[in-house]
Amino acid sequence: MNVNDYISSGIVESYVLGLADEAERAEFERMCAAHDEVRAARDAFELSLERQAQADAALPPHHVKSKLFAELSIALAATPEQELNETKNGLNDPKKGFNVSGEEFNDVGQGVNASPERGAKVVSGTGWVKYLAAASVLLLVASTVLNFYLFRQYQDYSERYSSLLSSQTQLANNNRALQTSLDNYQKTMGFLKDPNTSVIKMAGNLVPKNGSPEPSSLATIYWNKSSSEVYLLVNALPKPASDKQYQLWAIVGGKPVSAGVFDMDQADAMLKMANIPNAEAFAVTLEKYGGSETPQGAMYVLGTT
Amino acid sequence: MGTTITYTEHQLVSLLKQRDNKAFEYLYDNYSGALYNIVMQILNDVDLSNDVLQEVFVNIWRKIESYDSIKGRLFTWMLNITRNAAIDVLRSKSYQNSQKNQSISEQSEFDIGGKTSQLNVDNIGVRKVLEKLKVEQRVLIELAYFKGYTHEEIAEIESIPLGTVKTRIRSALIQLREHLK
Repeated sequence: MNVNDYISSGIVESYVLGLADEAERAEFERMCAAHDEVRAARDAFELSLERQAQADAALPPHHVKSKLFAELSIALAATPEQELNETKNGLNDPKKGFNVSGEEFNDVGQGVNASPERGAKVVSGTGWVKYLAAASVLLLVASTVLNFYLFRQYQDYSERYSSLLSSQTQLANNNRALQTSLDNYQKTMGFLKDPNTSVIKMAGNLVPKNGSPEPSSLATIYWNKSSSEVYLLVNALPKPASDKQYQLWAIVGGKPVSAGVFDMDQADAMLKMANIPNAEAFAVTLEKYGGSETPQGAMYVLGTT
Repeated sequence: MGTTITYTEHQLVSLLKQRDNKAFEYLYDNYSGALYNIVMQILNDVDLSNDVLQEVFVNIWRKIESYDSIKGRLFTWMLNITRNAAIDVLRSKSYQNSQKNQSISEQSEFDIGGKTSQLNVDNIGVRKVLEKLKVEQRVLIELAYFKGYTHEEIAEIESIPLGTVKTRIRSALIQLREHLK
């Protein structure tokens, strides 16, 4: 393996991030010693990793530092936070405060001897101001952090809310579509189950005289005499030319009455035709597109009621 | 108020080896944030992370003699100490027990985001860059880097051949480097 292939094999990152095994580590250290390019690649990755980590650094709580340095017995350089803590300790001990002021009254009588102590108290007075200032800054920082955090959460929730909303809308639409088609089916079922609905088979071989151009043609009429509703189901009819349409006729008193034209593209559904209160027979003829006043074309199927 | 001192890495290391307190404080002030992040990313628990960070700096102070600049930068050395310490805690019995009460989904290895209760740790460091990887690569880096599983363990957990684990991790790492640039 040449050096460049070795460098771009991922071993550099694997080594630096501590994911390489013992053998890989040993080999990598040998390669680093032998090839400046390998070492340079490692340095570059380490540096970018460190930069990224530093850019994202968030300070740990201050007490971690004080505990750590106490454990190692290292004196910390005085920091504003420390003074703050000391002031806070004083605050937490109200007895101290009372004693001090008691002494102060006594000191008045003692005159000159008291003045060094009084000087000390002035210093502790400015400490209070510092404490207040530091506390308000801390409060501001804390509230900024909290605001940021809450804002992020808010963003997250509002994103989730709008995505839920859109999926809910879509579901509702689907539901409506399903409901509509279910309603249709239920209506059809109700119609079919109605005892007043009769079924009339219309067949090509029932057509008299010249017969049907397609003797195997078949269609079914579902006719409810009490409501006059007529449904047509096409079982088998040849596909008409594009300038022609089939037309359904009811034969009433020996005369054809149009029950409407129909297209073949919904031929597998029950087609609602015109209402027919009375008929001896039903027939389908092929007519010019749009239908005719009286049947002109060939009769394809016929069925008597 | 202290004066601001900056050291080169070489100066810092040699001062640390001489047990210079100021240098150690400088080290803490400059690196504790970055190292704290990595602990938080692994443990996602403020109290535990505080303890681990303290332990890490105690170890850095005590083991600085064993740091060898030939093998890499000081930060890399500290990062690996930190990651190992956090993973030791992660894989310890007591941590596992404390996590048992949480739901299965929070324990799942596919929980890439890592449910966060205290801080949002998804958007920092290596994890932020992870978002840019393919899911199957991200899972492997998550298991290897943030959970400390060996390649053999990962092969078993994910039911994929050991060789595939290795190549996928390597190719994920190469992409990570590109994204870190």
